[in-house]
Amino acid sequence: MQRDPKLVDLDEAMALAVGALAERPDLCLGGLFKQSRPVALVRALLAAGSKGLNLYSSPGAGYDVDLMIAADAVDAVFIPGVTLENRLCPNFRAAVESQRITAHALDALSVVGALMASANGVPFQPIAALKASDVIKHNPLITEFECPITGDTLHAARAVRPRVTFLHAQEADRWGNIRHLSTMVYADQLMARASDLVIVSVDRIVEDDVVLDDPRRVTIPSHYVDAVVHIPYGAHPTASFPLYSIDEEHIDAYADLGDAARKGDGAGLTDYLAQHVTGPADQQAYLDRIGGAKRLQILEQEAAEL
Amino acid sequence: MSDVSPLEQMAVVLARDLKDRELGAAGAAALVPMAAIALARELHAPNLSIGGEMFFNPYPRRLYASMLDDRALGRCEASETFIELFGHSHHGLDFFFHSGLQHDRFGNINLHYVGGSLHEPKMRGPGAANLSYCHTSTRFYICPTVHNDRNFVEKVDFVTIPGHLEGPESKRAAGLMNEGPRFVITPRAVMDFDPDTLEMRLKSVHCGNSVQDVLDHTGFALNVPEGVGQTPPPSEEELELLRNKIDPTGELRH
Repeated sequence: MQRDPKLVDLDEAMALAVGALAERPDLCLGGLFKQSRPVALVRALLAAGSKGLNLYSSPGAGYDVDLMIAADAVDAVFIPGVTLENRLCPNFRAAVESQRITAHALDALSVVGALMASANGVPFQPIAALKASDVIKHNPLITEFECPITGDTLHAARAVRPRVTFLHAQEADRWGNIRHLSTMVYADQLMARASDLVIVSVDRIVEDDVVLDDPRRVTIPSHYVDAVVHIPYGAHPTASFPLYSIDEEHIDAYADLGDAARKGDGAGLTDYLAQHVTGPADQQAYLDRIGGAKRLQILEQEAAEL
Repeated sequence: MSDVSPLEQMAVVLARDLKDRELGAAGAAALVPMAAIALARELHAPNLSIGGEMFFNPYPRRLYASMLDDRALGRCEASETFIELFGHSHHGLDFFFHSGLQHDRFGNINLHYVGGSLHEPKMRGPGAANLSYCHTSTRFYICPTVHNDRNFVEKVDFVTIPGHLEGPESKRAAGLMNEGPRFVITPRAVMDFDPDTLEMRLKSVHCGNSVQDVLDHTGFALNVPEGVGQTPPPSEEELELLRNKIDPTGELRH
């Protein structure tokens, strides 16, 4: 018998994801705001026609969540902060204001606590640092309880087990051992341990020896990973530090189209989705669409100079 | 010093209030807070640690609007994850920074919606990630980069970040044991809170603004104690450090 590699192609990964999400549509996305978001996986899921998703993430998200809402794939968002940071998320905002989706009021500790409980195999994670915010009254992940040790009133964040988690990292070996080379690893390690099905896109595949020579560099052991997909620039237009930086121009142009749609002119946004999500036959076709090697070189240069 | 920008003035006021050997972080809208922290470290607080947001002691080459990505970190001494952030949030920092869509008389901050209700909002905002540092930390600062009668309102539509709630009694009842918001620093003025009522009051106005300007741009009747003066402007040393070392690309002057 031989060991099965976890390296699969994008179609195989999507078949796994679509099947799992049909059972329970709870999807969790790695990275944070505009860095290490698994955007190529998200585009593929949208192209496969996934609908009715409940979205989880590390506590801050933006472009990819907005894109999924623009593609009408989302029912509910369980993410504390949804923003492009320099501006609001246009489709998120429009969809909540017109009550097409539910955006739950949450905070970082509830989401992290809910994933910690799931990762640790316990029903809840106690939180002792939530006070006085109106978010507490509306937060669907927490329940008040009396601490059996101190008698204080605490909050229990119930375990949340995403059916599918998408992550993006810089490197993996064929067995699914993941190496983040970025400075921050966000909540990716926690999500991998908290979820049923974990699919990771990576910018490059490394030889077995690279992993074996430096095991402490592995951020997520393959034990927690179900499938790895080799997708160069798979985080674009978000960053994959230290390989390439954030494509702020692309995200800004997208947000302009989203804002136009919010104000009644949706033609540009519809065209964007056709050109970038459903249109490209593969990642190379997508990369050609966003400016090709010339554009990517600028983003690589910016990351290299940091 | 008439060419001092409002954001430079804000950074200087904040920097002067940060102490050596403290631990703090910049928060989500990091441009002015990060400038303030860096300035304090250059001057009187070389042992001040930046931590609590998944990294320790970054050395950015320039300022960015957000501190929460590798671009803005530049090099840093160490990184953490959201698991450690969970602990920091419970233990608290010495200082933190917040700003929002609305700020009210008692320093409460709204980042969720304006008009309507949470699930039927007229305008939906971004929400916020960390709601704990505002009360687990020793104190925090409110530092929005605009100051008008729409973002300074009598009462916020939704309390995302609790400030002084409705005064001392409500704060005690809610178990908010720390100082909460100490100052409100805007491009126009510095405000603090009356120690008896915890209501916001004018402390000083920045060069180029009058007391009346500030009142005209505040959506509630701001208390004006006697003897409100001008905010002490940046010293030459502060300005030189800001422009030559901390903010070489002039983000605070755009």
